[in-house]
Amino acid sequence: MNIDDVLKIFIAESQELLQQMEDALLQIEQNPHDPDIINAIFRAAHTIKGSAGLFGLDAIVSFTHVAESVLDRIRSGEMAFNDTLTALFLQVCDQLNALIAHVDAGGSLDELEPALQKQGVALTTNLSHYLSGELAVAAAAPQRATQVVRESSDTPNEHWHLSLRFGPDVLRNGMDPLAFLRYLNTFGQIVHIVTLTEHVPAADEMDPETNYLGFEVAFATEADKETIEGAFEFVREDSQIRIFPPNSKTVDYIQLINELPEEDLRLGEMLVRCGALTQSELEKALLKQSEPEASPAPIGEVLINEQNVQPQVVTAALQKQKQVKDNRTAEGNLIRVDANKLDQLINLIGELIIAGAGTQLAAQQSGAAQLVESTGVLSRLVEEVRDSALTLRMVQIGTTFNRFQRVVRDVSKELGKDIVLEISGGDTELDKTVVEKIGDPLTHLIRNSMDHGIEPASVRLERGKPAQGTVRLNAYHESSSIVIEVSDDGGGLNKDRILRKAIERGLVSDNQSLTDKEIFNLIFEPGFSTADQVSSLSGRGVGMDVVKKNITALRGTVDLDSIEGVGTTTRIRLPLTLAIIDGFLIGVGKATYVVPLDMVEECIELTSDQSSAARQSTSDYIDLRGDALPFIRLRELFAVEDEPPRRENVVVVNYAGNRAGLVVDQLMGEFQTVIKPLGKIFDNNRALGGFTILGSGAVALILSVPGMIGAIAQRQAAPSTAMTINS
Amino acid sequence: MSTKKTILIVDDSISIRQVVSMTLKGAGYDVIEGCDGKDALTKLDGRKIHLIVSDVNMPNMDGIAFVTAAKKLPAYKFTPVIMLTTESGADKKSAGQAAGAKAWMVKPFQPAQMLAAVSKLILP
Repeated sequence: MNIDDVLKIFIAESQELLQQMEDALLQIEQNPHDPDIINAIFRAAHTIKGSAGLFGLDAIVSFTHVAESVLDRIRSGEMAFNDTLTALFLQVCDQLNALIAHVDAGGSLDELEPALQKQGVALTTNLSHYLSGELAVAAAAPQRATQVVRESSDTPNEHWHLSLRFGPDVLRNGMDPLAFLRYLNTFGQIVHIVTLTEHVPAADEMDPETNYLGFEVAFATEADKETIEGAFEFVREDSQIRIFPPNSKTVDYIQLINELPEEDLRLGEMLVRCGALTQSELEKALLKQSEPEASPAPIGEVLINEQNVQPQVVTAALQKQKQVKDNRTAEGNLIRVDANKLDQLINLIGELIIAGAGTQLAAQQSGAAQLVESTGVLSRLVEEVRDSALTLRMVQIGTTFNRFQRVVRDVSKELGKDIVLEISGGDTELDKTVVEKIGDPLTHLIRNSMDHGIEPASVRLERGKPAQGTVRLNAYHESSSIVIEVSDDGGGLNKDRILRKAIERGLVSDNQSLTDKEIFNLIFEPGFSTADQVSSLSGRGVGMDVVKKNITALRGTVDLDSIEGVGTTTRIRLPLTLAIIDGFLIGVGKATYVVPLDMVEECIELTSDQSSAARQSTSDYIDLRGDALPFIRLRELFAVEDEPPRRENVVVVNYAGNRAGLVVDQLMGEFQTVIKPLGKIFDNNRALGGFTILGSGAVALILSVPGMIGAIAQRQAAPSTAMTINS
Repeated sequence: MSTKKTILIVDDSISIRQVVSMTLKGAGYDVIEGCDGKDALTKLDGRKIHLIVSDVNMPNMDGIAFVTAAKKLPAYKFTPVIMLTTESGADKKSAGQAAGAKAWMVKPFQPAQMLAAVSKLILP
């Protein structure tokens, strides 16, 4: 792993943190004083600053530092979040995102685009207003006052305190205590010194070669503890030298401890790293700890007793240690894996399934019972491997949903409407590829709902609705699909207007009778969106037809329900996975087709009576326990020329509540199907969803049930025209 | 009589003597040199010496023997000693400590480190 790899991790981590920060900022609007949320925001900024420093991304460090300082004041209660501050911090998020994206793109932070640079300067200036204290004085005057005392650098607390007890033999060893004090003055200033004479004996008992004196020194220096201790390097072993940092240093140490990278450090190591403890002090303390007569006190206690470190600093270090440990346990259950590696694994499993099917077929043909048995076991195992491999790609949709809090907030401010977003089903899992691609269509649907759906507050009150509009995002599983709903409690769609417009544009003919649902779904037709309907908001040039196209590309479908005056619900149905499904093999003539097993409801026999009755009436319906079931003859659909067998079968499929029958020759059972995409030439063919390779090596087409059902519905709507399956 | 502090540097390596001597002279000390323990003892003729910097491993008379001898001379009983050593072995160090050399420096060192160590004990 080289530095670039680590940088990638940093970028991913920062993006996650920024997302968390943004989420927290949106929550803070409701609870401006919630310490957990404030802490979450602070932590995000803090961590980004810390790790950016490691990569020498100074521009990010200095920018985040200002933001963090403001957050720190909020955290300490000196000021509180308000709308202006929240907006400012959301901009800070955006700026950081832009900076990190810049780093991600391989750019140098020294050569920023002028706009980005300008924005950075503007934000820094804005933020530093909050640091000058003008705004905070009124809110927290008393606290501010104590702060000032601590911050001013001429108070006695600001000096290091050295407590020196030179050993009695120091003079005999050729060391002059005064030499050390003089040496101190080479890198600092002795502000105050008290000589301790209590050990000096009466004159006749006094040995002039022995040292009896001790010193308490107030010492002003910019140097660190290590340097100060170094001055006493040669007398350390025989003397007691204690060095106490200035008050402000304690705060610094605590901050340094918090900034330490999240490594598994021992307490002593941590204190040494931040400079609160020197290596030799630590060694001494460890020695003391291991003395046989000493009680086995924890190292922290020993250090406090020895007065090497302030208790507050030890507490902070212990906290940090715990935090690291906690994070570690949480992280311990997660491994970041390159998405490409996962894809590769799933591809291989696909190949494995195909190869397995081939083996099984060969086993069956050989007729060796033992071989059939063992290939059966093998294929069951392969199936399990497939299932667990597919779950590896599953992620919760909640993260994607939460992103829309920001969209809703921004757009509602833009529109001047009061709109909240309600989220449910965030723990529903779906394939990562799908999650990535669903963002844009969802954004468009949500913006649409807010722009066209939710009425202005005055109209809402007139209609007896609460002034605040609600947009809901919901997700749930339904058989092998995930359903994502975007709904609003707005004005709903005007059926007549849509129909009128559709007729105007020639999408439907005058005399066609359409159900409400069919009318509503007309808005997904290409060419429906009109200039007067698309405002600047409802999309970055994306019409509803593009939404539909995006979702179709994911093998999904979209439909819409609306009640005028009450609201609109758009439902997106997506397959759970894109790669491997359980299929059901059917045969027509010599060809084999696959239907996704989850969509198969039942299989029934099509008796010759039913078949001929249907042929005579030219209405392709059969009576399924009292219900009319429309059906398609695959033989006709795919223009298979040979004679149908005497007995045909109907496979009853169901998609999103619509049922249809597929008339086939043979039912051939379940088959694990690795979906391979069809070439571009099939793009317009809605009846096919892909192809797969059978155990025998033959190719089988995968039928797209939604496409079939759509074709049947179209045929019903326009019975006179020849059935087409090309859209 | 010079007001400068005098340092005796004892080492069998001429290059080390020269570097140390140059550094210390540059910092304002007077420096006299001895090329081994025996030679150095002849320099302890009663003149004021403020600090002795001595190598341990030397021909004729090693550093420990030299320091032990030097500490027996009343004029140099309280003279601080910095021992230079490459040995990290504790046995040599404790022998040196017993001889009265409390300050140790491990070779190799930078001239600045030498200067810092010296100035902790005596300022020019």
